[in-house]
Amino acid sequence: MSKYMVDKFMRAVELSDAAVATYVADPATAVDRWLAGGASAERATDDRELTDEERAAFVARDFEALYRLGAHPYLLWHFTEAIFTHEFTPEAGWRDLVERYREAVAPHGVVDYIP
Amino acid sequence: MAKLVMAAATPHNPLLWRAMAEPMPDDLKPIAANFTRFREAFTQHDVDVVVVIGTDHLRQFFYDNSPAFVVGKADAYHGTWENEARTFGMEYVELEGHRELADQIVGRSVQPDAIDFSVSLEWRLDHAFVIPLQYVRPELDLPIVPVHANASMPPVPSVRRFVALGTHLRAAIEAWDSDARVAILTSGHMANDVGGPRTFAGSPDPAFDAAAAGWMRDGDLDGAIQVCSDVDRMTEAGCMTYQYLNAVTALSAMGGRPADFVDVTESRFASSPFFLWGSR
Repeated sequence: MSKYMVDKFMRAVELSDAAVATYVADPATAVDRWLAGGASAERATDDRELTDEERAAFVARDFEALYRLGAHPYLLWHFTEAIFTHEFTPEAGWRDLVERYREAVAPHGVVDYIP
Repeated sequence: MAKLVMAAATPHNPLLWRAMAEPMPDDLKPIAANFTRFREAFTQHDVDVVVVIGTDHLRQFFYDNSPAFVVGKADAYHGTWENEARTFGMEYVELEGHRELADQIVGRSVQPDAIDFSVSLEWRLDHAFVIPLQYVRPELDLPIVPVHANASMPPVPSVRRFVALGTHLRAAIEAWDSDARVAILTSGHMANDVGGPRTFAGSPDPAFDAAAAGWMRDGDLDGAIQVCSDVDRMTEAGCMTYQYLNAVTALSAMGGRPADFVDVTESRFASSPFFLWGSR
């Protein structure tokens, strides 16, 4: 388990409008491109890795799994909001996503999210 | 010598930016009224410079390098991040820094005995800093010294370090050879669980909120220290509740005396803290 890397990927996506758009268009490709980037001569400390379970959760936009795996709650909510907003309708918008999110994470209670 | 003329603790809920607009929804009128009261206090106290204590939300600072306390030494700051403009509709701002007061707080060549600060000369301020300033000083014309206190990436500083920060800020301001009138503005929450199992369902812990308002009303620094030292109690109160400790820094800076104004405002959101200490 690599909570730090889960948080790092969520943050990388959520901070940038372009990254959100890329991820939403094709989560699997976006995750794999992110994993393939990283450390180089210019970015010596920028390592990137995810377990198979973490990668699968990002590919599936599975916020319940990410919460269970120890994602930072604050980052996870804002990541979730960023990657589902384009699906909002007049019938099911922000409040509906909040309810879905809370119902998904509440059974897990407080999870240890310290990396 | 410089004077610490007032301290104010406010919420920084960025959802207010869109929601608290005319025509003002009934449930947000008390929050708008409290911000108006605080704006008037900044004017009445003739403030020259503001020390803004907030907690960056894993934007400028992250787990690759997470300092406990950071003092901004920049001449100017960009405010608001791309994700905040997108998600909250916030506006980009430019804020003037105050290098002389920053050096007075953090030491120019050697740090003070009280706190081992980190310093930053390049820092984009997030909503924790921008939102309170936009409401208490919409003109954004006062120079600031931003102070980040880590309250969101464990391990966080203990409550006694927040108390020490407040004590140090007062001492540093009062030792500053200047005519400046200084305000402390702290940014935080009452009980708050954004992203946790009680997210966006009102206050996750009204009992904590009531006690935490009482510490400000009664000037009960010891009470705040006792409960905020209990990590299990703080966790129970919500995953982002530790940002309340920024207000404890204000209480400490004001010598632990009761706040002159205390309101924990109920609305559609988690309870919003408003604590104000003026000059006597």
